[in-house]
Amino acid sequence: MAYVAVSGGKEAIEESIRLLDYYRSGTEKDIETEAIENKMSLLVDRVMSEAGLYSRTYAALALKQCEGSVEEAVFLLRAYRSTLTRNYYTKTVDTDDMRVVRRISAAFKDILGGQILGATYDYTHRLINFDINHEDPARLHKEAQSRLAEEQPQEVAACPRVSDELKKEGLIDTFPTNDTQPYDVTTNMLEFPCDRSARLQTLSRADTGFISGLAYSALRGFGQIHPTVGELRCGYVELCVPYLFDEKETIYIGEVLMTEVECFNEADDQDKLKLAVGYGAVFGRNENKAIAMAVIDRELDNGGDYPTQNEEFVLMHGDSLEMNGFISHLKLPHYVTFQSKLDAVRKTRRADHE
Amino acid sequence: MDKKQLFTILAKADREIVASLSDDIQKNHNVTVVKEPAKTLAMIKLREPVKQSLFYMGEVIVSEAVVELDGAKGMGVTMGDDTEKALHMAVIDAAINHHVFTGMDILLKLEQEQKDFIMRENAMHLKTMVNFNSMDGEVPSDVNAFKKV
Repeated sequence: MAYVAVSGGKEAIEESIRLLDYYRSGTEKDIETEAIENKMSLLVDRVMSEAGLYSRTYAALALKQCEGSVEEAVFLLRAYRSTLTRNYYTKTVDTDDMRVVRRISAAFKDILGGQILGATYDYTHRLINFDINHEDPARLHKEAQSRLAEEQPQEVAACPRVSDELKKEGLIDTFPTNDTQPYDVTTNMLEFPCDRSARLQTLSRADTGFISGLAYSALRGFGQIHPTVGELRCGYVELCVPYLFDEKETIYIGEVLMTEVECFNEADDQDKLKLAVGYGAVFGRNENKAIAMAVIDRELDNGGDYPTQNEEFVLMHGDSLEMNGFISHLKLPHYVTFQSKLDAVRKTRRADHE
Repeated sequence: MDKKQLFTILAKADREIVASLSDDIQKNHNVTVVKEPAKTLAMIKLREPVKQSLFYMGEVIVSEAVVELDGAKGMGVTMGDDTEKALHMAVIDAAINHHVFTGMDILLKLEQEQKDFIMRENAMHLKTMVNFNSMDGEVPSDVNAFKKV
């Protein structure tokens, strides 16, 4: 079946793009990118995570450009990054040093460093707050800043990992440091079976809905595990790159906010003497995605017949750009292929009547 | 002051302060741009704690520049779209390498303010630390309790 190029519709397309401005214009009230960046933080986090590009300002701009569509914003960021060179690789980031803003364990109530709830919607009533309709944003900001100013400064201390304690007991396997250079799925096609690095990179930038749904299916029975969140931590990690003029020095370039999860699971050895750990790490505050990633990581280690245990199924279908691009292509003209299908149906009907 | 400390202060500082420090240097020294300020990407390499392996988590947009000040080179790299700030950082770095930077006191003061801000934020977060009162002796409280259970 051949593809046939057709032309036409140029003016209609131009008018359609112009019409987007009509839809985007709404009312005279504007939403500034600064407001999106700071007041739609979790949406910005999701877009950055699925784009695999940490840039709060550009994510906010992309969201404004496409009326808040996550997949369009991801597309814009991916397209933009493809125009840039990549001149740096950071020094290895070790999340042991994370400046924690939230950290919980569902496995133990007393953990070294404590359970820090941070800012979470987990304990809110989920009732719409109509007062926000009349909120004075300047006053809100001022009050938050004065609360901050009144605080007694507290030294920042790194939190030990919950899993480290279990490793000391031999209840979780300890692995030697592996400095093999990671596989990069942004410059290489995925090959199966794939490296752990390719798996983690792909899951970290996967569509939130896709991997959340997959993890849910595993928990409901289409999988083997029902994990315990050993530790969920959210915080800032420092990024450093080499200093060009002295190899002993490094340059701090900034920090990124991320969420990291270690899920404890049933034993992976036959004698059930140990726990196995699944790992998730994503940009921003996106806890369910990080947990889902940890569930999927463990499921892929397990292997088996369920979809969540099939590496190719999981890793090839969760990229926001690819999945939405492919689904979206169904809207493009398929006049010739559809005519062919129609002809086949008509011929069959004729044959049945004769 | 090592480079990591220097660039931490500069990265967290307002662009106006960095620009003003750089402008002061440029009044007395000849600065030439070796690498034009531009945006580029940095790939984040992360070590995962489960199997101790490395993976690429994603990229960040950074702005970079390289300058020469009276023969001494300096570089600036910082997260985000701010090529001007990267250029000013490079000027300050070159001035330090050339031992003609006089704004060290300002940098140290900035650092103190930045640390103070982070420690105050930290205090807000530490207020959300949970104090558990177990109502059931059977609940494993920590790793040692886990062993017993």
